[in-house]
Amino acid sequence: MANDGSIGGGLMQALKLRMHYQQSRQKVLAENVANADSPGFRPFDLKPPGFDRESGVALARTSAGHMSLAGARGGFDSTGAPRFETTPNGNAVNLEDEMLKVAQNQSDYQLAASLYSKGLALMKIAIGKNG
Amino acid sequence: MDLIKSIAVAASGLRSQSGRMRVIAENIANADSGPERAGTDPYRRKVVSFQRHVDRDLDAQLVALGRVQRDPSAFRTKHEPGNLAADANGDVKMPNVNALVEMVDMREAQRSYEANLNLISSTRRMIQRTIDILRA
Repeated sequence: MANDGSIGGGLMQALKLRMHYQQSRQKVLAENVANADSPGFRPFDLKPPGFDRESGVALARTSAGHMSLAGARGGFDSTGAPRFETTPNGNAVNLEDEMLKVAQNQSDYQLAASLYSKGLALMKIAIGKNG
Repeated sequence: MDLIKSIAVAASGLRSQSGRMRVIAENIANADSGPERAGTDPYRRKVVSFQRHVDRDLDAQLVALGRVQRDPSAFRTKHEPGNLAADANGDVKMPNVNALVEMVDMREAQRSYEANLNLISSTRRMIQRTIDILRA
């Protein structure tokens, strides 16, 4: 199979990137929750890594002005999360919303981690270790 | 590793929320701390402020307690001519602590504290999952 040297047709690479993304997102969400009472704080979120057919998972272009990089891989863009309430002190963190995202992020991470273990098991079958 | 950083960020949240709890407890405990003599002020309510600061080691926005300030609002007065601290009209200045306001503030601190705790346990599960890959 033609690929850029990664095993499993880029599957492991994509899962690795996905898990890296969930880890970074968890940090961003932790910052949002910790600053839930800081005056003037605006919550952030990470844009999920985009997928296109030619290059697999690549750098997301969030603005028309961005240069397109042929070999760009990974990289995340922190975009302002949608917000629907701002307290008088300028804080726009919605705690319920953040907890929802944390729960979702965690289950997505567990999904990616399970898929990664399955990928490893597949490789064990391929090298004949009775997976 | 970002997951460890998440825990450190959430821990800074826990620290500042518990500091806020401490100040609220001081306010409630001193809700009836009147003046010692006539003409002096009673206990003045304390207000916490939060500050975010960028921790360069962690590359993250942590939260910390800012300066604890005094609430400049007016004191309550209580008519009690027998009190040693009463003025000529028999009024005693009482602290500007409102139990209801403190309760609401306490609930908010508690809620934020729980949210940070929740985040830590969620992050711990993610770390556990990562370790499970090795075991599989």
